[in-house]
Order: sequence, then structure tokens, then C-alpha cells
Amino acid sequence: MAELKNWYLVCYDIRCPKRWRKAYKLLEGYGERVQYSIFRCWLSQRMREKLRWELERVLTKEDDLILIRLSQQCVKDLPKYNRPNTWLLDEKGFRVM
Amino acid sequence: MQSIDLAQDTLTEAFPNTLRVCALHAFAYCPRLFYLEEVEELYTQDAAVFAGRQLHEKIEQQEDEEWLDLYLEDEILGLRGRVDALRTRDGQTIPYEHKRGRCYRDDNKPQAWDSDKLQILAYCCLLEAALGIVVSEGRIRYHADNVLIRVPLDEQGRQWVKDSIQQAKQLRKSAYRPPVTSNEHLCTRCSLSSVCLPEEARLAHNKEWHPLRLFPQDDEREVLHILEPGTRVGRTGEQLKISRRDQADEKVSVGQVSQVVLHSFAQISTQAVHFLAYKDVGIHFVSGGGCYIGSVDTRVGSIQRRIRQYQALSQSDFCLELARKLVNCRGEGQRKFLMRGKQKSKSDKVELEQAIAQMKAVLKQVPQVQSLESLLGIEGNLAALYFGVLSQLLAPDTPDLLKFSGRNRRPPKDRFNALLSFGYSLLIKDVMNAILTVGLEPALGFYHQPRTQAPPLALDLMEIFRVPLVDLIVVTSINRNQWDVDADFEVRGQQVWLSDRGRRKFISIYEQRKSESWKHPVTGYSLTYRRLLELEVRLLEKEWSGEGGLFGQLIVR
Repeated sequence: MAELKNWYLVCYDIRCPKRWRKAYKLLEGYGERVQYSIFRCWLSQRMREKLRWELERVLTKEDDLILIRLSQQCVKDLPKYNRPNTWLLDEKGFRVM
Repeated sequence: MQSIDLAQDTLTEAFPNTLRVCALHAFAYCPRLFYLEEVEELYTQDAAVFAGRQLHEKIEQQEDEEWLDLYLEDEILGLRGRVDALRTRDGQTIPYEHKRGRCYRDDNKPQAWDSDKLQILAYCCLLEAALGIVVSEGRIRYHADNVLIRVPLDEQGRQWVKDSIQQAKQLRKSAYRPPVTSNEHLCTRCSLSSVCLPEEARLAHNKEWHPLRLFPQDDEREVLHILEPGTRVGRTGEQLKISRRDQADEKVSVGQVSQVVLHSFAQISTQAVHFLAYKDVGIHFVSGGGCYIGSVDTRVGSIQRRIRQYQALSQSDFCLELARKLVNCRGEGQRKFLMRGKQKSKSDKVELEQAIAQMKAVLKQVPQVQSLESLLGIEGNLAALYFGVLSQLLAPDTPDLLKFSGRNRRPPKDRFNALLSFGYSLLIKDVMNAILTVGLEPALGFYHQPRTQAPPLALDLMEIFRVPLVDLIVVTSINRNQWDVDADFEVRGQQVWLSDRGRRKFISIYEQRKSESWKHPVTGYSLTYRRLLELEVRLLEKEWSGEGGLFGQLIVR
């Protein structure tokens, strides 16, 4: 099927700094950090499962991980009840530097 | 168009003696899937693949009792593979296979899917052969509906495994890509559908077919254009680090990048090149003057595709037919673009109308052309007619300096030509990116002849996109007064280039155009130009794989 993409919040609580660093670096490759231990990622289902699989290899049982998919409506409403510039969207598809 | 005959012995055998059990599973699912994965080395892991792996990881963690994860290989049987789990029940050794999905139900009686059944039987046979024991049955657990299915191993099953191995090995040696399966339900769940394009192949054979879109609609990853000389692109962790003079470093997640384009002398570290190559991100170089220099070519496998391309494109008849399609596509595109301009302007445009009519007459000759040389002549005529009246599409109040009086290049001598030239450089870069992604050979084309400088296949494919992606945006941006004749250009004697500011502006107009969606006239579904470039290359490849007829049909309306 055509690949739909969604915003995901990836939140984690990792008990050991070594694993935390690994997970943190991994997530930097997928999206941007919103707050400590919260990332936002724009993912297709394929990428989401890949990320989950890669994270699962880093984390152990005692760590916590939660992925939250935001619907289109959620993302649209975000600016209404947040401080300005909390969730900036930049969907140009290119960057000139 | 006919498909190309390949002699069996053109492909030297370089396969291992044994077959992976999961390849056998793929073979039972769809022979074409098996061929694409094993021979053409195309793997695209989809969501289900990763979810499946995770399931295995989880089972491993939960399992308290003895757990055997066995890698086995047997040359005589010709199989190798890793058994999910091995348990002993009542003195019998039983292999287990875990599946994430549901089982097959016939009259609501749970059963194993055929491909899964073959897979577990193959594991049974492999265990028998490798460990010298007798295995009576294998078991499959379907996790979605939590069903355990026992598959007894009997003579019939053993024979089935043996026959399948034989057939699969035979297919592995073949130079032919098997046809698309007749069961289209298999394709919607297949991880390779965006590469195999089964729906488009069905359309090629049956013009009444309404294809489902299995090809992703858009690639939303960013194209990074590095313009400023002295900028450095490096790697840090899973991110690209872009360091500019007098500015804070910027970091970009590699998952969000589809191409890195280095203009002029921006630097890139070897670490970053390795990293981007590993992540399948295109790296392209464009000179400061706006000439396409080259790309990093990371194709490794895919030689089968290129061998088929060599075979097909060394037949002159075949090339001629493709070239006819191409010239027709480009000419029609140019003509439609002029017609569009005619409709917009209220005033009489006699010259424009004449050119449109003449182009129609010239285009009629295309199907009868018998040689590439005369086709080149026709294309020349079309281009002359087109460029002769292109300036008529410009608004009457266009500044004189931006007016167009004929195409010239190397170097461009006026501003309009500078815009066109820079646009074509960006375009050829994108076409190259698509060709390298698909794994074809850019140096062997069907219309442009092999030369040392520019890659002919890229030049060929570029013809299709010149009007919709470059000519159109140049004309509309001028009509919208988007250009500053002084600040956006640099004039050095006879030569005119875009200034830094001009290039930035052009890149954003071009990239925005690429992100517009467009309804494909043949497949009937819409997708962005970004994706269209790749789709067109894949459709071209189908021309010589027996699924032709869809290439070169993109004509602006």
C-alpha cells in the first residue's frame, strides 16, 4: 500500500546511561528531540517498525518505551493550546544552505 | 514491444550451493519475489519484517525452558537456515516456527499457509539431514490468532521440499524475471511491491486494469542543497552535521534526507560519504557555475538488471522504438505547453498558432522514422519551432533583459538561457539519482549516443521532464516577476550565470515544482514529480522485461 506517514512521539525512560546514549543517538537519526527523552519523528509504518526493532535491541526489560502516533487532527490542533513555536512544521522537502 | 531473449549462459553462476530456507518460503509465496530477492538482490524490509523480528526477540526473552537457536546447513540437501526453536517432546525433536500473522482458515478450520507449510517441512528435512535424526513433525504458531498448527513430515512432504529446492535452484540460474503472480492479494502485502510494480505490469498486459497504487506517493525526505563554498558536511552519530562559516552548526537526521547536493566547493568528509552511501542517500556534485559534475555511485548488486539493459539497448530496432516514443513524448509536451500559453493570452498570436500547427505535422512523421539520425533531425525541427516561439509565452511587460531570443549554452549568453541551463543541471542530477536508485547503467542509452561526457541514458530520460520541470517554471517565474535582473544574475562579458541569490531562488522554485502532485495519464493515480522520476525509470526497465508500453507517456496538459 502507499506509504502513509504520521508524526510519532517517542518517549523513553532508560535506566542505564550507556543504553540511554545508544538509544539517544539512534533516535537522532530518525527525528528531532523535543524535550529530554522525548523525540518527534515523521515516520511511515515501515520506518516505525524498523525504529522499534532497532530500539528493542538496545533496551532491556527494565527500560520503558512508548510510541504515540498523532493523528493529522492532533497535529493540526497542537498550536491551539500550546505556547507558540512548540511544534514547528517545515514540510518543504528541501533545504538550501 | 518484445521482451529480450537472454541466453542461459550469459550469467555466470556465482551462487552458493545451498538455499536459505526463507528463500524457499519466498519461492512458495511468489516465484517473482524469490527472483527479485535472491538474484537481483533487492531487499526492502517492510514494517512486517521488522515486527516479525521483534516477535522473535520477544519470544527469546520470555522463553524460560531450554531454547535452541540452531544454524544448520546441508550441502547434499542443498539447504541452510536458522530454526526458530527446537524442542523435545516425548523424546521427539520438533522444530517450531513463529509467525506474527494469522493462519489460513478453510471452513473455519485453522490451517497453515502453503508457503509456511513448505518452510517448516524444509526445516524438518534440514534437521534430519544435518543432525542425522528422524523428525516426525514441525509446528507453526500463529501469534495473531494464537493458533498452533502441527505439520507432519511424510514422504509426500519430503518430496515437495526436494522438488521445490530443485525448481528454486533452476530459477536462480535463469536470466528471466518470472511474471507477476495472478493472485493480486499477495502483492498488497508484499514487501517488494514498490520495486516489483505488479499493478503496473498488470496494466501493461491489460489496458482495462485499474491499478491500485502500491508505489509510494511521495518521498518526503529532504534534498539538502549545500550552496556556500567552505561549508563542511560531516557525520555525528546518526546525524549529518553541517558547519558553515560564522554560523552555528546545523544537524539533520539521516532518516530525513534523500539527497545531498554539493554546489561549488562545499566539503564533505569521507565518514559522511560512507554513512550516506550506507543509508542509500544520493550524493551529487554541481559546479559553482551550475554544471552537473557527477554523483557517487553506490550500486552494488543489480547487475542482472544491467545485463538485461545491455542486451536490450544493443538492439538497434528496440532502441529506435524507444527513441520514437521519447521524441514523441517530448515534442507533444512542448506543443501542449505552447497551446497552454496560447489559451492564456487573449491577443492574437499568429506565429504561435503556426508553430503549433507545424509541430503537429512534424510529430506525425515520428512513427514512420526509420533511423536514429532522421529522428534527431525531427527532434531538431521540433526544438527549433518550439524555441522559436517560446518567447511568446512571456508576459508583454517582461523586462528586455529577461526576454528570450533563442537557445544557447556553454556558456549561456543571456539570462533566460542561464535559467534554463541551471534548471537542466538540477534535472539531470535528479534523473541520475533515479537511475542509480533503480540500479540501471546511466552510460548506456537508446537515443543519445555513447560519449565520454554526459551519461546518455540520463540525457534520454531527461527529455521527458524538461518541459514540465524546467521550461514551465522558468516561464511562469518570469511572468510572475520573480527575478531581479541585476541581483539574481552575474554577467561576465558574454557569459551570464545565476548569482548566489539567484541560485537559491531557482532551487526553491524547482524543488517546489517537484513536490507538486500530478495524475499519471497511464496508471491513473497521482503522485509527486519527486516520485515520478523514479517511477519513469522503473517503467523504462519494464520495457525490456516483457511488461512494456507504459514508458514515455507523460505529457503536460
